[in-house]
Amino acid sequence: MFGKNKKQPLPSKPKEEMPYTKEGLTLKEWRKKHQKPHKWRTRRWAVLIGIHTLFFLSFTFDLSILEGSLSGSRLLGFYLMDPFNTAQELAISFLTGHWKMLTMNYVIGIITIIIFYSLVGGRSFCSWICPYHLLAELSEKLHNYLVKKKKIKEHTFDISLRWVFWVGFILLAIFTKNLVFEDLNPVGILSRAIIYGPGLILLWILILITFEIVYSKRFWCRYVCPVGATYSIIGHVTPVTVKFDLDKCAHCLDCQQVCLVPHELWFVKRGAATDKHHTTGSDCTRCGLCVDACPGDALKFTVKGIDKLT
Amino acid sequence: MEKQNKDLNRRQFLKSSAIAVSALAAVGAGVGYLQKVTAETRINRNFLRPPGAIDEDTFIYGCIKCGLCVQICPIQAIKLAGIKEGLAYGTPYINVREQACDFSCDSLQCVETCPTAVLYFKQFKDAGEKAVEEYVKTHKTDENFNPFPVQIKAMKSIVKMGIAKLNPETCLAYQGKGFKGTPRGKDFKGVNRSPYTNDAKATPVAEKYYDEKICDICVKECPIGDTAIVMTDIGGKTVPKVLDGCTGCGVCVMVCPTEGPSIIVEPIKS
Repeated sequence: MFGKNKKQPLPSKPKEEMPYTKEGLTLKEWRKKHQKPHKWRTRRWAVLIGIHTLFFLSFTFDLSILEGSLSGSRLLGFYLMDPFNTAQELAISFLTGHWKMLTMNYVIGIITIIIFYSLVGGRSFCSWICPYHLLAELSEKLHNYLVKKKKIKEHTFDISLRWVFWVGFILLAIFTKNLVFEDLNPVGILSRAIIYGPGLILLWILILITFEIVYSKRFWCRYVCPVGATYSIIGHVTPVTVKFDLDKCAHCLDCQQVCLVPHELWFVKRGAATDKHHTTGSDCTRCGLCVDACPGDALKFTVKGIDKLT
Repeated sequence: MEKQNKDLNRRQFLKSSAIAVSALAAVGAGVGYLQKVTAETRINRNFLRPPGAIDEDTFIYGCIKCGLCVQICPIQAIKLAGIKEGLAYGTPYINVREQACDFSCDSLQCVETCPTAVLYFKQFKDAGEKAVEEYVKTHKTDENFNPFPVQIKAMKSIVKMGIAKLNPETCLAYQGKGFKGTPRGKDFKGVNRSPYTNDAKATPVAEKYYDEKICDICVKECPIGDTAIVMTDIGGKTVPKVLDGCTGCGVCVMVCPTEGPSIIVEPIKS
């Protein structure tokens, strides 16, 4: 993608060097032997559901822990702001002069978010916080099942499409002087529905989910969502990534099967890796599905810098 | 072969981009249309914003729909609009007939909490500080030195959510009638803090009992007092009169005992 791998790939490993041969097993036996529980998925879903429960409880029982919603919230008195919302708002208000009125809390909120997500990296917001992601993750299973049964056909697009939407939504915001995307944003809509009660707007979520199930896998998250795209920019340079070890890899591609953003795992294909080690890029949601799926422990979470110490 | 693939990919990308751009343009046109149609009707339907709201054109893009103002309001006066309000979906409003803003939080918390300043706090902060300064100058040696009430009074007096308007056709006082009982019935859920009591918090309207020879509940319950609404004599009748000090908080609307309220709050059309 975009001249990312200019380097020549390393030669493919011969069968003798494969991890399963070293254990004296066939690939099938080896994969079966090393099946692991969904450790990271359990943690991730617990965090996601926990955060939304906290939002709900904070409002319903008036606890001042996590107030607001995902478009803007306050955690124990500290403000947090949605980055794409902020991008739209700043784009409009620099033109109209409203920016002079914005509060210090707003500035603190967006800076906190930028620092936090550039530390944890990539689109970790998507898989750990976003409520729409959980719905999409479940509907993806249904979609995969339907594709497998040949009930529907898979449609894919170019993932660069989201930059068209990103710029498009900013321009729309400027032209119409409205936070246009916030009216369509499933993150905010679902978050508000969970906290303040459901409304008719949830029909929009239903349309999106149905479209993702019957037409194109994860259409919104992959090709449209500018919130996720913004997090891709913020989390571009980051210490926390998933590290790949070529020596332990048997090219079974189990990880790409479960990956939410399979293009980030381009190096697991036989003969694709250009180095002994690779790390995932900024579209990686740090969901840990590949870490749980990998039979050879070739994929692991790592913190750059700290991993060299131990 | 590779070049062909690349060309195909590029063509596909351009094709889907074209669809994306037209979809965005359609959304833009829809938003433009809604903006024209719904903004007018919102104002005509007396869609009231919380205290300190800036002009509606800025409000509609400035508000990020986080709901922090909803959460902080101790009497739950602020609600988030549904999609019936079009582009105002998710933005805060107050339905004063159901639950008016009675200033019983004593500090305009909703305004203070707003991160994007569409509820603009600086004006209130400045007004409050100025009042305290004045008070300190004159009351320095006072035994009961307490600038807090002065500050609050100055802050809430410059709130302008709208202005109350009386309907003489249905108003009980205009017909010379009194009122005895509980104005909105026993099942009414609204609360307010009556200015003639020393209550710290708001109490349910359903628990209040009145026995007035000439109905003056709106004047009695007004949290602003005699700069906002007073009883005056007009041609031998004693009737309520709205003054310039009215903040549009809507407590009078909430407590009005007639079937449809005889007093309403109209947003200020700027």
